Amino acid sequence: MNAIEVRDLRKTFKVQKNREGLKGAFADLFKRQYSEVTAVKDISFTIPEGEICGYIGENGAGKSTTIKMLTGILVPTSGIVNVGGYVPHAERERFVQEIGVVFGQRSQLWWDIGVIESFQLLRKVYRVPEQDFKRRLDELVERLALQDLLNRPVRKLSLGQRMRCELVAALLHNPAILFLDEPTIGLDIVVKSEIREFLRDMNREHGTTILLTTHDLQDIEALCSRVIMLDDGRIIYDGGLEELKQRWGTGVEVQFQFGTPTKLPQLQQWSADMPVNWTAENELNAKVWIPRELNVSDLLAKVVGKADITDIKIIETNTDDIVRSIYQSGSAEKPAGLLQAEKEAIHV
Amino acid sequence: MYYLGLLAEYLKNYMKTRLTYRADFWVEMISDLLFQAVNFIFILVIFMHTDSLGGWSQNEVIFVYGFFMVPYGIFGCFINLWGFSERYIVKGEMDRVLTRPAHNLFQIFLENVDPPALAGSAIGIVIMAISGANLGLSLEWWTLPAMLLLSISAVAIYTGIYTALTSLSFYSDAPTGILPLMYNIQSYGRYPVTIYNRAIQVLLTWVIPFAFVGVYPAALFLEREEMRSMALLTPAVGAVFLAIGLLAWNHGVKRYKGAGS
Repeated sequence: MNAIEVRDLRKTFKVQKNREGLKGAFADLFKRQYSEVTAVKDISFTIPEGEICGYIGENGAGKSTTIKMLTGILVPTSGIVNVGGYVPHAERERFVQEIGVVFGQRSQLWWDIGVIESFQLLRKVYRVPEQDFKRRLDELVERLALQDLLNRPVRKLSLGQRMRCELVAALLHNPAILFLDEPTIGLDIVVKSEIREFLRDMNREHGTTILLTTHDLQDIEALCSRVIMLDDGRIIYDGGLEELKQRWGTGVEVQFQFGTPTKLPQLQQWSADMPVNWTAENELNAKVWIPRELNVSDLLAKVVGKADITDIKIIETNTDDIVRSIYQSGSAEKPAGLLQAEKEAIHV
Repeated sequence: MYYLGLLAEYLKNYMKTRLTYRADFWVEMISDLLFQAVNFIFILVIFMHTDSLGGWSQNEVIFVYGFFMVPYGIFGCFINLWGFSERYIVKGEMDRVLTRPAHNLFQIFLENVDPPALAGSAIGIVIMAISGANLGLSLEWWTLPAMLLLSISAVAIYTGIYTALTSLSFYSDAPTGILPLMYNIQSYGRYPVTIYNRAIQVLLTWVIPFAFVGVYPAALFLEREEMRSMALLTPAVGAVFLAIGLLAWNHGVKRYKGAGS
């Protein structure tokens, strides 16, 4: 059973053009010019029940617009949406009973009243029976360690505390599908990993389908088996995270530091039978790019015995670099050549 | 039933919030009442110079004013759309409202309940009682039920007009200045329409029917025969305008564009 089904989904906004200067402003007063902006361009995907799917893309790629159509907030310009068996915008009030929504930048909770009172109010709004509510609340409160916060007004909570409360608020009615729009934005590393762990448990224990947008790729690495990448309103990648890394992480870079000056032609000669690419900054430092198909140890074997090596670093491209280069090239199809990876250095 | 339960819950929360800002509560109530008092004194001042206004005596005009205060207070309490465009559209809070399983307009009403406004209704009742007694009006068996029905109809008219006008902010990018204008026009409805010229009478009766929230229904209790049919028309006008308001709203929500990311 698919939790989310989207076919040829499109959303076009009419945007008013403002002409320049005072004269332009007067002209606008009488005759407005509009331009059409298509935020989401005929995208299609399906998400099966129980999957955690990451939805990534640059700012303005159309992520939030898609989420808003999937949650029934916006009416699509064209295309078919089916979420949990409902057409979100058409049967909104019945549909939202089945989903939970967390918008990282916006609060679900009432600012001035205690957290627990917000939860009580939501219980009434979602028509959750008292018994279920108690059980569920106890479970969530314990899981997210909120016992001490329940009676504090929301405005006195830190962002991390508030975000944990937001999660509870979105899950009180035990939704089958959870939408998270940048749930970890602005949070510290500890809260981030707490939230990730919590979401993973929710997914495992209750089979909750989760769709999340984020700019923090560690969220994706920690949670998602699948990513959908969006650029300029189109899906440019849809598949597993490992696959993405494999397709894009085209190789490994090894950095050498030598004790005695070693010339570049010398290095190239040692590895002449391997299609590797050497670059040298000076005679004491050199880098080599090894394509994925080759074995790093084969190359090391050729160099280690011959040169006077003081240090070796093996650098693998990480997801951040992969995604950055995809964003820059605007397509997941063609690899962007050598990735200049700087992180995840492994010392040998 | 569900909605009544929600109403109770929201009111409870309103009280909780307000009890933490007690001073604010009283200031708001007093400023509301002062505003009404100024209008009221205005009527008294006029009648210091003349005995009747377009065929209406002082007590009659005051009775109309008193009647007007009842629906106006109820409207101010439960149907508070002031600042909707700013808060819900520009800041995008409509997103949150739309992801909850209750009718969005009703949720907005609930989130903005303003019980201090009800003080105006209470005072309106007192004013009607006093001026009614001065006029020697008798309390018939139908008086109270009719008053209830007509007040509710008047609230429906208000709700319809303001809901329709507020829903314009779904269509237009910029917050419109039409709502403040309406707040000015509505004050004409609290005086007998016959004192205005013909065009304004038609405007207040058929286009933006603010006459139906004050003078027409009140005339029924003042036993003014010439306006009886108008008074009896109030519930129908209420139903029509409420329907227009809700239709405009529901259609507008479909065009909601969201804000920011």
